[in-house]
Amino acid sequence: MRRKIIIYHLYPGQLNLYGDRGNMLALCRRTEWRSIETEIKMIEPGDKINFNHCDLLFMGGGQDSDQRLVAADLKQRQADLRQAVENGMPVFAVCGSYQLLGTYYVTAGGEKLGGLEILDLHTEAGKKRLIGNAVIRSNLWQPQRTLVGFENHGGKTYLGPSLQPLGKVLIGYGNNGTDKQEGAVYKNVIGTYLHGSLLPKNPWLTDHLIRKALAYRNQETKLQQLDDSTEEKAHLAAIHLAGSRKHKLLSTRA
Amino acid sequence: MKPEQKKAWRQGGLINRLFQVKILAAILIGKTLIGLTRFLGRGGTTLPGRTALLIYPDLITFLSRQLKAGIILVTGTNGKTTTSSLLNDILEARNLEIIHNQSGSNMAWGITSTLVAKTDWSGVLKSDWALLETDEGAFPNLVKTTGPVGVIATNIFRDQLDRYGEIDLIQAAIGRGLENQPAGGFQILNADDPSLVSLTGKTGNQRLTYGLELKQLSATVQNTGRDLKTCPVCKTELTYDRIYFAHLGHYHCSGCSFKRPVPDVLLTAYNPKPDGSAQLEIKIGNDLITLSSPLPGIYNLYNLLAALTCAIALKIPAAQAAKTLEMANPAFGRMEFFTLEGKNLVIALIKNPVGANEVLRTIMAKSADSSLLVAINDKIADGRDVSWLWDVDFEKLVKNQGILPHISVSGLRAWDMAVRFKYAGFDPHKLMIEEKTDRALKYALQETPPGGTLFILPTYTAMLEIRNHLNRMGLGRPYWEER
Repeated sequence: MRRKIIIYHLYPGQLNLYGDRGNMLALCRRTEWRSIETEIKMIEPGDKINFNHCDLLFMGGGQDSDQRLVAADLKQRQADLRQAVENGMPVFAVCGSYQLLGTYYVTAGGEKLGGLEILDLHTEAGKKRLIGNAVIRSNLWQPQRTLVGFENHGGKTYLGPSLQPLGKVLIGYGNNGTDKQEGAVYKNVIGTYLHGSLLPKNPWLTDHLIRKALAYRNQETKLQQLDDSTEEKAHLAAIHLAGSRKHKLLSTRA
Repeated sequence: MKPEQKKAWRQGGLINRLFQVKILAAILIGKTLIGLTRFLGRGGTTLPGRTALLIYPDLITFLSRQLKAGIILVTGTNGKTTTSSLLNDILEARNLEIIHNQSGSNMAWGITSTLVAKTDWSGVLKSDWALLETDEGAFPNLVKTTGPVGVIATNIFRDQLDRYGEIDLIQAAIGRGLENQPAGGFQILNADDPSLVSLTGKTGNQRLTYGLELKQLSATVQNTGRDLKTCPVCKTELTYDRIYFAHLGHYHCSGCSFKRPVPDVLLTAYNPKPDGSAQLEIKIGNDLITLSSPLPGIYNLYNLLAALTCAIALKIPAAQAAKTLEMANPAFGRMEFFTLEGKNLVIALIKNPVGANEVLRTIMAKSADSSLLVAINDKIADGRDVSWLWDVDFEKLVKNQGILPHISVSGLRAWDMAVRFKYAGFDPHKLMIEEKTDRALKYALQETPPGGTLFILPTYTAMLEIRNHLNRMGLGRPYWEER
């Protein structure tokens, strides 16, 4: 039987700051190359959402002004979303929407903004933005695998005791720049600050999400092996650049 | 200069002399370093300025005050270089002596280098104007230190977000810059960009705007890069009657009274011709002028209008300015044309999705026998975050694979670009992937048939590298020697 997954792309008009299009493209291509049918539903603020039809929810990062609009809209769907997550719906949230999934966000002015309370984490506005290449080692795979991307966030995120990080920081800042943790994993929800875009250069994460989406609808999860030599080279080259002191110093000479 | 220093400067005495020693030392060392870096063939544009500022932090102010007519700063995401280059041509045609940071080095250090290069050894500047394209992040401070007569803000798009955080911050920075400008000057703004129009400057500065008054452009790319969707005043979704590209167009807000102002300078007709030039009709108040613009692309319409509006603010007759614009050459790296060994070379800088999409659109209008070299670096001047590559419509090239038989990717992020092409639908095994730009350039040139065209799309520092390689092949002059 032909396999199919339905991806809900939440607010592509508002949450699309850091090449999130690349993440969607990676999901589409890697399903297409395996003859898995993919249907993408773009969800705009105010649209009716029935999470019962969603196999994978993708949420990107937005700029501050757009994010407030989005937060207000999502708050109304909080109960439905939480129910779906508890049922095992896979969610992939990057940057701003990762913060939004937490319990609250403390702004620079000390104001406490409520989150969606899906992930046991909170975020505090930091003085300095955490910006740069980042490499983490993740437990999602055995043996562990690396993920490489670019982070750029003003907020510092702290995980509650019930939550596992997506990975341990090898290079970069991660959630808050102090505890060496990056991202969060809860049930089938993955939240992260990494973009770059993240999925194209880390094809095993893309495949992980596709498998979770298939499993969620009780479909066969075995994926045909692809020729990932280009992606793997890009992955290694990016890790090399992230770790290169020379590369960090280069650049003032323009 | 701080007031107490100014006083000391006038009164003379020990403090004065001390400052003078520092200034002279800064100039001397700055100029020596400029000579040295050029001798080494590196065209260093930031190091001399950086060192000079370390010795005398108020050097920019000291130099700015010497200009006979004053300073004009040009800021915004796209079009800074072309706009300031066009304005430079207009002013030069009036026999004025202009200082212009042409090679795109547009932060405080690079601007200091540009100014120091033009002083004599005692630190005296004799030029009329300094025309400085200014990075958005450096803009508020440079307005403070230079006290410009005029500022031009072209547009705000997504660009190098790693450096400035987010678009909201860039907008705030430009807003601060407008407020920092001393009274009595003028501000030139793009009326079609809501994020600029909403910025309030100081009263006491003349404000002129420009915009397009055309029917919807049929070829407009709208899928990416619409960076501003909500009203900058009340955050309601903006309504657009017309969109020219990205978020530039005719807009109004249904939630408050915010809307596009009626521009002072309006483009009322645009008739593109096959060779890339276009016949334009521009309305200024009750006057209508026509001109034939040699510059390709929609984005250059805005650049041309910005330069023309600034000329009008400077009381230069519009017809005269238009005559100069008709002879304009593309600015540094913004669609430059060369020929080498019977092959055509086109270099077009790419640095963000909106600009890159416009470049792709122009390339697709060209004929067959073309090859393509995309060179992506991720140094600070390029933007360290390469996510933006995923927002560029490289998919569009796939549909036209027939006219681009050879594609090479290069630069520090060559492999990221290779993955980008793979996911756009190209066979990665047919790509030539070579991180070193000199080797990639040689290969790409070989693969271009005689009479064919090689399109080179580099990021900023990759462009500098490629121009250096081309210079060594005997093409053009080093960029720091231009003009």
